[in-house]
Amino acid sequence: MDLRFFEIYRRSDYLLLLLEGAALSAALTITAALTGMALALALSGARYARLSVLRHVAAAYVEFIRNTPLIVQLFFVAFGLPTLLGYQWPFWAHALLALTLNFSAYFSEILRSGYATVGTGQTEAAAALGLKPRQTFFKIVLPQAVAKTYPSLVSQFIFLFLTTGVIAEIGVNDLTQAGKFIDSRTFRSFEVFFTLTLIYILMSLSFKGGLAVLQRRLFRWQVAR
Amino acid sequence: MKDLLTGLLGAPEGVVLYQLLFATQFTIYLSAIAFAGGGTVGALVTLLRIAPARSARSLATAYIWFFQSAPLLMLLFLFGLGVPRLLGVNVNVWLAASAALTLYTSAYLAEVWRSAVQSIPTGQWEGAEALGLRFWQTLRLVVLPQAVRVSLAPTVGFLVQIIKGTSLAYIIGFSDLMSVGKRWANAPVEGTEPFIIYPLMALIYFALCFPLSRLSLGLEKRLGTVRKTPPIAA
Amino acid sequence: MIDIQNVRKSFGDLEVLKGIDLTVERGEVVTVIGGSGSGKSTLLTCINGLEPINGGKITIDGTEVHARSTDLNKLRTKVGIVFQQFNAFPHLTVMENVTLAPRKVLGMGRAEAEAIAEKQLRHVGLADKLSTYPSRLSGGQQQRMAIARALAMSPGYMLFDEVTSALDPQLVGEVLETLKMLAEEGMTMILVTHEMSFARDVSDRVAFFHKGVMAEIGAPDQLFGAPRHPETQAFLSKVR
Ligand SMILES: Nc1ncnc2c1ncn2[C@@H]1O[C@H](COP(=O)(O)OP(=O)(O)OP(=O)(O)O)[C@@H](O)[C@H]1O
Ligand SMILES: [Mg+2]
Repeated sequence: MDLRFFEIYRRSDYLLLLLEGAALSAALTITAALTGMALALALSGARYARLSVLRHVAAAYVEFIRNTPLIVQLFFVAFGLPTLLGYQWPFWAHALLALTLNFSAYFSEILRSGYATVGTGQTEAAAALGLKPRQTFFKIVLPQAVAKTYPSLVSQFIFLFLTTGVIAEIGVNDLTQAGKFIDSRTFRSFEVFFTLTLIYILMSLSFKGGLAVLQRRLFRWQVAR
Repeated sequence: MKDLLTGLLGAPEGVVLYQLLFATQFTIYLSAIAFAGGGTVGALVTLLRIAPARSARSLATAYIWFFQSAPLLMLLFLFGLGVPRLLGVNVNVWLAASAALTLYTSAYLAEVWRSAVQSIPTGQWEGAEALGLRFWQTLRLVVLPQAVRVSLAPTVGFLVQIIKGTSLAYIIGFSDLMSVGKRWANAPVEGTEPFIIYPLMALIYFALCFPLSRLSLGLEKRLGTVRKTPPIAA
Repeated sequence: MIDIQNVRKSFGDLEVLKGIDLTVERGEVVTVIGGSGSGKSTLLTCINGLEPINGGKITIDGTEVHARSTDLNKLRTKVGIVFQQFNAFPHLTVMENVTLAPRKVLGMGRAEAEAIAEKQLRHVGLADKLSTYPSRLSGGQQQRMAIARALAMSPGYMLFDEVTSALDPQLVGEVLETLKMLAEEGMTMILVTHEMSFARDVSDRVAFFHKGVMAEIGAPDQLFGAPRHPETQAFLSKVR
């Protein structure tokens, strides 16, 4: 047994590859988190729709996503939908769509639990001031729900980030794909994937740090006690 | 069974469905191994994590942190490719997949069980101590029975994670629902297009996972849960 | 004018208001007292349409509150309400709490809304707290902010539901002072309160509620000094 990390680290082309892969992984995850959040907003809202069909569809969607593996969802989005509907997108776009659909289900459940923590006193006070339900939701309920569930949203985001390596399976040049490429050249699998693990952990920590800073910025009212 | 499905649906649909269902058993076996292995290791880590000795606690904390932070996919690569190449030995894919999933599971379960144990008010510990019980006696007789209640829901819930997690094992050559399905989806056979096979596979996974999710939810409603359960995805 | 005619209200099988008649003229201060569960809060929430009613009618300046054609959001801008729980919006500064409705409901510009908010906040003694978040305010300050928030809509009427009940005793005074000031300025108000000496002090009329019925109404000196209804007598002897 001999560990030869230097075989990777001395090659600047490998390091660059890893850097590019990490950047793409980060970019896709962050974008998917934002689009997923938007979809989650719609999904969680649909759970309170007057139309019962809408409520059931949203609930079924969330359950289905949460109870099936991401990789199956990814393959369906990347290979199933395009053959069915006859379109062709770049790999990363398929990945982005699949991640968005996946993230949205988890986020919407967290948001929903957040709405429940905003007391009826708040909505009653808003109604008494003449605010319409839509205004009450966006101005009063949503900001407080997001603030209350922010820690859960962050850990969910990190957890989801750690699953994004599967997009390498459809050919996206993400961090995992970079590792697989270097592995195929060097055959130093242990060193490569151990390095990758550390990079993923480092990136998680950076996300966590960045999101904590964002929290202090966004929810100053909460910290200001 | 195979004949029945072929008779009912015709070839190739019947054959494909049969093969998918047949391969599902390996998904279930691998999940069961991961749960049993992860549960055992997780229990040991939990004990270390709450032990009086400080060094044991730090060790357990580091273990939990590392294996919760490491992507499951990387653990699979490490055990499926990394370790064999590093040691120059052949590692059976069952062993590699089980090892990766066991470590992954153990960290999560240890974390859930630790928070369950620590959710028991310190008054319980103090009360037992006042009665002259030792640490291990208090744990076994007073704390654990209460902690088990609140950890049941997230523990069952994590089974869903494990089952979904096994879908990655095909990447290191494990043969299960995922790998068989993927092979059919790639095959140029009419009736096995990706838009048919993947939804079908999703349905099978759903049939495995959804009842467990529901059970977990039911347990949570009846027995409560640990206040801060780590998030779940995959 | 608020005109309440034979109003009935039930929650399921429980009849909470059993035919209430009450007319409140402009500039009048009417205080409602009564035991717990007698329907005082329910009456207030019916008046500004937060709760539907099962019978009778309520008209405010000629607009029937529960008529289908009534725009409730618009009506509520005319009737301010302040609750026992202050319901401050915790994610908004004091200024934002007060300007939210003028901007979103009345469509005011920011500058105009802030000018009004500042005036109302100065009025209730919070001029130095404009950019503070509610979590930094005492209960009494939060309640005064809630009053300013309602006043910023320039309502013709104000409803107050036990606005001092959730406050520490030493903070009650400052809020009652604010209410008294409003009364003296001629604001039309209906107050539900358990502060009897305050009620006696500011009210034009006092109504006593008992089990969903307005058992007695009269001038404060009469109602407190010589209550006619036996239940009023019993209630007053208990709270004194
Ligand atoms: N939303 C509701 N659903 C069902 N019952 C209700 C509801 N709101 C009030 N009630 C009931 O109606 C009755 C009158 O309540 P209300 O709040 O009007 O009393 P109150 O006179 O304000 O009492 P308190 O002095 O305790 O505030 C009570 O029995 C209460 O339980
Ligand atoms: Mg009340």
